[in-house]
Amino acid sequence: MVTRVVVAGGGIAGVSTVSALRAGGFAGDLTLVDAGEFPYDRPPLSKDYLAGRTELKSIALQTPQWFDDQRVRLITEASIATLRTDLGAVELGDGTIVAADRVVLATGGRASRPPIAGANSPRIHVLRTAEDAERLRAALVPGARVLIVGGGLIGAEVASTGSALGCEVVLSDPVWPPLGRAFGSEVAAWLHGMHETQGVTTVHAPVEAFEDAEDGIRVTLAGEDAPRIFDAALLAVGMAPETALAESAGLRVDGGIVVDAGLVTSNPAVLAVGDAARRCDDGVLARRSEHWEAAQLDGQRAAATILGVAPPADTAPWFWTDRYGVHVEVVGELGHAKQFADRGVLGEPPFSVFAMDSGRVVGAVSVDDPTAVRAARRMIDRALTIDPAQLSDAATDLRKLVRGRPTEGTI
Amino acid sequence: MSNGIRVAALDDIPEGEGISIDRTVTGTDDDIALLRDDDGSVWALNNTCTHAEASLAEGWVEDGYVECPLHSSKFCLKTGTVQGLPATRDAVAHRIEVRDGDVYLFPHKRP
Repeated sequence: MVTRVVVAGGGIAGVSTVSALRAGGFAGDLTLVDAGEFPYDRPPLSKDYLAGRTELKSIALQTPQWFDDQRVRLITEASIATLRTDLGAVELGDGTIVAADRVVLATGGRASRPPIAGANSPRIHVLRTAEDAERLRAALVPGARVLIVGGGLIGAEVASTGSALGCEVVLSDPVWPPLGRAFGSEVAAWLHGMHETQGVTTVHAPVEAFEDAEDGIRVTLAGEDAPRIFDAALLAVGMAPETALAESAGLRVDGGIVVDAGLVTSNPAVLAVGDAARRCDDGVLARRSEHWEAAQLDGQRAAATILGVAPPADTAPWFWTDRYGVHVEVVGELGHAKQFADRGVLGEPPFSVFAMDSGRVVGAVSVDDPTAVRAARRMIDRALTIDPAQLSDAATDLRKLVRGRPTEGTI
Repeated sequence: MSNGIRVAALDDIPEGEGISIDRTVTGTDDDIALLRDDDGSVWALNNTCTHAEASLAEGWVEDGYVECPLHSSKFCLKTGTVQGLPATRDAVAHRIEVRDGDVYLFPHKRP
């Protein structure tokens, strides 16, 4: 019987795990170990928190009172040094032993640092933690020349935040448009085009070298003769899962801590959730999701595994992003669809695009039109047959297309 | 006040949707979201999501919950209890009565 659970990492996956365990009736000892001052939410780190519009306490994932009420022992500014599976325990960095029948690894990831010459300059930033955001914020002063390397979700959000703070932002990504697979190429192109209309310069060249200089950092972009000079640069080129603890414990690691559908690693006493985990179903390794809600759902699934109850129902993947005052959401998959149904005019928010396959919705992207994505999610999850003409008809109430219709199949 | 404040006609609120009533009408700290579940019942919560600047009246109402239109936190229509992150605080719920096709609000009375 499982009576002691230790969760490593207080991001959304870890906090979701302890929350779901208690909600599911787990009455045993529950410990959450986190490196930060307290568990906080990360999406604001590239937006309101970076801009200085909100304080860290306001983005706490739960209040101190909640952890007390839920009888979660919170060990902060600490980390697990070793999994002592031989003892049924974990050992913290300071040598403290905490007994555990199950350990849940919610160790997240580190910002990728590509092997570019000079990338260890103090003018170079990454963005994963509140400390990273505070350091970057200090560099985002009005008039600062800022290079963002990578036009993905975080790079684009920081470009938006930085230009609103009065920085001269250049965004570099060798791919055009970035995020084509995530948003579908047309919407991705429009979203990427927003950078230029909002005063951010976009270039489509990889960085070849950084070099510190007295007046800033010189950056050589591929195909350019003279280096450009910036006051600061952000590397926003993705993340690497934090797997060191799992590796030292001899767990199977392959581009993430390998887990089964119940989030159990190669050691039955150890589970892994969120950005650090990589699903392997029937011998096939899946792509890691790296999104907020996926991490939350992982926590709920891991809790169900520990409790021995049915996991939450599968649902289409979902994420949001905010840039230049527009709110963008995506559900399902848009990258591979052959047929699309536009709702509203692409480029004139609010609008949305539905991706179709064989009479069913497989994905949707919305800009300032979140109801469309909520409707699409239900259409996908219930495998509803939908007429694309109805989706495109502005007179159609999308809620009515979904309400009262039971599931027609599986996703 | 004992009869409540008439805030809407029931027919103004489609099933599965919500409307927002301005605080100057209700005398409350926040605007009030009138939310109609798919069974036809009407509920009232403070309109602003407890997590970020979003209007719950624009959320998705289904099976006893409203889903925030911004980050998808869910709140119980009846009690305002938050069901999922990123919101961590419950929404304030208010009592509603429907009489002769009109919706009456009893601010800060328990539903």
